[in-house]
Amino acid sequence: MAEDTILADDLIRQLISVGEVDLIVGISSHNNATATSHAYHAIEQGFQQHFSRQRAVIVNVCGGNNGDRDASGSGLGDLAEKNVPSVNSLRTVHRVTADFSVPPSPGLALRTVLTAADLLRARACAIVSPGTTNLTPDRIANLLMPVFREKFDFVAPLYTRQKFQGLLTRNLLYPMSRALLCSGIRELYSDEWGFSGRLATACLNQDVWHEEPIRTRPEAWMAISAISSDFRCCQSFLGQKLQSATGPGPDIVEVFRQTVGNLFWCMDSRQSTWLDCKRSEPVQTFGPGQELTSVQTDLDAGRIFEMFRNGVAELGPILGSILDPETHAEINSIVACEENTFRFRSDLWVRTVYDFAASYHHAVINRDHLVQALIPLYRGMIFSFLMEHSHSSAAEIESANEKLCVEFERQKPYLTEKWQAKIEVKS
Amino acid sequence: MRQTILQGLVQAYNNLVHMIADFLPRFLVMLIIIVLGLLVAFVLKYILRIVLSLTKLDRVSEEAGASRILRIAHLPSITALLSRSIFWLTWFGFILIGLSVLGIASLQEQISRLLQFLPEVFVGILILFVGLMTANFLSRAVLLAAVNAGLRSAKILTWSIRFLIWILTISMTLEELGVARQTVISAFSIIFGALMFGLAIAFGLGGQDLARKALEKYLGNTNKERDKEPQPL
Amino acid sequence: MVPLKDNLWYKDAVIYQLHVRTFCDSNADGVGDFAGLTQRLDYLQDLGVTAIWLLPFFPSPLRDDGYDIADYTAVHSSYGSLEDFKAFLLAAHSRGMRIIIEMVLNHTSDQHPWFKEARSSRENPKRDWYVWSQTDIRYEGVGIIFVDTETSNWAWDPVSKSYYWHRFFSHQPDLNFDNPAVLEALWEIMRFWLDLGIDGFRFDAVPYLVEREGTLCENLPETHAIIRDLRKRLDLAYPGKMLLAEANNWPVNVRAYFGDGDEFHTAFHFPLMPRMFMSVKLEDRKPIIDIFEQTPEIPDNCQWCIFLRNHDELTLEMVTDIERDYMYDEYATDKTMRINRGIRRRLAPMMDNDRRRIELLNGLLMSMPGTPIVYYGDEIGMGDNIYLGDRNGVRTPMQWNGDANAGFSTADPERLYSPVISNAVYGYQAVNVESQKRSEHSILRWMKSLIKLRNSFQVFGRGSILFLKPANHRVLAYVRQFGEETVLVVNNLSSSAQAVELDVRQFKGHIPIEMFGRNLFPRFGDAPYLLTLGPYQFYWFQLRRI
Repeated sequence: MAEDTILADDLIRQLISVGEVDLIVGISSHNNATATSHAYHAIEQGFQQHFSRQRAVIVNVCGGNNGDRDASGSGLGDLAEKNVPSVNSLRTVHRVTADFSVPPSPGLALRTVLTAADLLRARACAIVSPGTTNLTPDRIANLLMPVFREKFDFVAPLYTRQKFQGLLTRNLLYPMSRALLCSGIRELYSDEWGFSGRLATACLNQDVWHEEPIRTRPEAWMAISAISSDFRCCQSFLGQKLQSATGPGPDIVEVFRQTVGNLFWCMDSRQSTWLDCKRSEPVQTFGPGQELTSVQTDLDAGRIFEMFRNGVAELGPILGSILDPETHAEINSIVACEENTFRFRSDLWVRTVYDFAASYHHAVINRDHLVQALIPLYRGMIFSFLMEHSHSSAAEIESANEKLCVEFERQKPYLTEKWQAKIEVKS
Repeated sequence: MRQTILQGLVQAYNNLVHMIADFLPRFLVMLIIIVLGLLVAFVLKYILRIVLSLTKLDRVSEEAGASRILRIAHLPSITALLSRSIFWLTWFGFILIGLSVLGIASLQEQISRLLQFLPEVFVGILILFVGLMTANFLSRAVLLAAVNAGLRSAKILTWSIRFLIWILTISMTLEELGVARQTVISAFSIIFGALMFGLAIAFGLGGQDLARKALEKYLGNTNKERDKEPQPL
Repeated sequence: MVPLKDNLWYKDAVIYQLHVRTFCDSNADGVGDFAGLTQRLDYLQDLGVTAIWLLPFFPSPLRDDGYDIADYTAVHSSYGSLEDFKAFLLAAHSRGMRIIIEMVLNHTSDQHPWFKEARSSRENPKRDWYVWSQTDIRYEGVGIIFVDTETSNWAWDPVSKSYYWHRFFSHQPDLNFDNPAVLEALWEIMRFWLDLGIDGFRFDAVPYLVEREGTLCENLPETHAIIRDLRKRLDLAYPGKMLLAEANNWPVNVRAYFGDGDEFHTAFHFPLMPRMFMSVKLEDRKPIIDIFEQTPEIPDNCQWCIFLRNHDELTLEMVTDIERDYMYDEYATDKTMRINRGIRRRLAPMMDNDRRRIELLNGLLMSMPGTPIVYYGDEIGMGDNIYLGDRNGVRTPMQWNGDANAGFSTADPERLYSPVISNAVYGYQAVNVESQKRSEHSILRWMKSLIKLRNSFQVFGRGSILFLKPANHRVLAYVRQFGEETVLVVNNLSSSAQAVELDVRQFKGHIPIEMFGRNLFPRFGDAPYLLTLGPYQFYWFQLRRI
């Protein structure tokens, strides 16, 4: 479906009224007026407490539901209406609403915010999600401060996690991106990040906005653009990562599409970025760094293992067309193990992922199907992780993650070779 | 009598010479047309091959799974297949035109019928090919979705989908070719309708409680099962 | 403008604040005097001001610029005699100007005969005219006002061997209003001056009159009772006179000093002043809007007095810590400029001598609700001298011309009560009345036309205010209405050109007439009214329905 033009007359009029700003925070509300209202409040408090002298604006990108606009209120923030002598806000905090006829995709929402940042010559920008239930003023400041004060161009978030939370990030997305991009940014896929006006302009000028991976999950591409173009990147600790309190967790297939599929696409479209990259460099971190907590969670490991086994069996021919024969054979051998002796070794996992990445590049099968086919193997890997680390401390898990990262880096030549090889015809 | 026989022979001989003299030019024209057709076919094959390789059709075909089908059928890649097809079609067309120049009435009639039948054959092949590709693609999509959702009956579902699409494809192909048209349509309608009717009875009447419980369990489990798996991000 | 025949002259006034010492020296002693001031009344009349507020001119040791009074019913010998004052008063009245003088109720100088008596012994009849204590722990927790110089509100008197209470300098003991005799004595003093013909009093340091244990010793009900008493006496005996309160507090607290129209006639709106400066620096109308939204309605016979600068530091008491820090960082980067939680600079230097900003702020002063007070010298853009100590840097001699001593005095320069400003930017050679009178486009000429325009309309002094809040926060727009007069004021607070769309539907059909040039602008309709303004530009539109 064709999407609306970004700069509707109403939006331009609002931007004209705002004028030049120092800070811009973008939110993309999705028919949730309560969450949006909470987000507005937290952002305005953040401006008050940490950036009282700066000119700031909140850009809400929404669509398809007037409820969000009503929650956003007038063009001037709540603080303009209060008349309490102790209010610390020096300046008017503007709210700009970009209202589309249908709910905008994340890519369109980001592009709108980047456009506003470019037009208003913002110095520091941030994207936050109203769905984050623990959005606080300090969180906003932690995203903006490294850009505004320390002149960084990209700020990725860092979180405190439960030790079995974010396993896809910690066992695939982070170690792989670290090995390929030579950058220690942990959270390439997140709902909140910060960036400079300079980076916003650079990203805006790239002709990628029509691509499906950018439409659904633009943040990793933005980070990769920053890393590959020598913009200054850093990480900032934001606290606990909490999901929305209501509803089930995200669909794993959709998550894989948006993250793993997105990462493979980025690799494919920016080959020169990572093929030449040799060693990863540490990234400056603001705040205490990632913390893992040892909170027990209620996970059905047995079911996970069953799904892994079932997947390997059912998807045999498909896996055969994707994986290297040796890798496939090894997987077939470990699938026969009992639960208590099953281990998905790191080196095997790395080769598996790299085989998938190379096959994605060569399009041995439909790419969306290829990404989905990795899910059962991912389940096998996390089952192994759960068994191995059920009683491990946070430090031990962190150490294991680091070893996995090193393994990804060590096997990078294997990926390069597969990537650049001619396609083999498999029947 | 000898004179009559001689006259008859001379007449026959003259007729033969006439016929040959009449036929030979047409025969030569036919040969020229066929040779010209060969040249044109080669040129078209070459041009099409270049155009198709520029559009990277092989990669698209690989992604769609069509290449796999071709390999199973021991057929060359789609680019080669299409360019060869265009070669043969073009040359065959020129051959038919050449044959029509000979002026043999019965032959011309057969050629005419063949020419009328050729487009249907082509469409039929296309339907079959697209149908097989679709069956392959959809069955794989269903397989992956079912496996990732943890359904035990993934293979059954996959084959069901594939079988249904095959039946549909074959029916459409046979209908296009005009082979036992009425029989095929009726048979397909009966089989498909019966299948759907049976499913409706099974779930709608006979197993409504079970169906309800199964749906509730499935939908409820989907949410619960997501919560039993670690958050990926 | 036809003056209304009521006693509310203070609503229509434009007040000029000066210290007689600073204005003009007639006898070459280096100190301005009443005779010299009288000579300069034509200048003030020409400027268009309608009232003069005189800072204290009473006999005093002058350790607090005359606010430490040693004799309430005389004139300091340096400034002339009581006869000189009477002559000045007569001359001012003949030019249509009213005179407001100081009335320092809260404290006297320690050189005042009352205090000298009070401290002489504990049995003296005047002992109880002041607030004494054997310890310095009474009224614990009460804030110190002059934080830069005082460490306590109690001072030890070595004569009577006890402590006395002082909210200001230690040489300014507070009077004890729990003693009725004090009030009677002060009323007699007021009568003295009222009988001479003065038109109003500015009561200094009003909130601090009464002390009570367990309170902040400010704004107490007893204080209001005293004021009501004085007001009642005034209205009975001297109708048409005005009382002006100096109460540096939030509008909601100052509101109490109007009572039900039976306390002060006027009061300073202190919190508005720093916010005007803040808004211009921030390029954001929010501080001004916020403070007006906190300003309560006042009785119809009462008035706010608004100002940009005065003889004191630009007070930052009634702002938050963040706002104070901002003001310091933007307007007083040099710490020498800061004193007592304020900034001791004049208007022009604070505006970096930017003519546009000076005009904008004066435009705000003349168009916002309240009676405007112009501090002497600001009409010509005088500079300051932050190295003079205390707040004397904003109390330098008036600059009349480019001659020696700026035409202020013919005395030797060393004899002047204060050196004149003589730097390259604000020095008297560059900034003086004579040169500005000769220039058609000087600040002085412009101020004159501005005041004249304001005096032509009653709406500015008596009208209501309705803020239009366009989406462009850099533009401050409001409508003043009084009877048939309606004026739209639009101010660009920013250093860059701005476009603004105003929602003027309620004035549909009106024709705006720009008041300085008398040019017509397009009629108001249903659509938002688009205006563009240059940097720091402002418009005054008279809205007429024709």
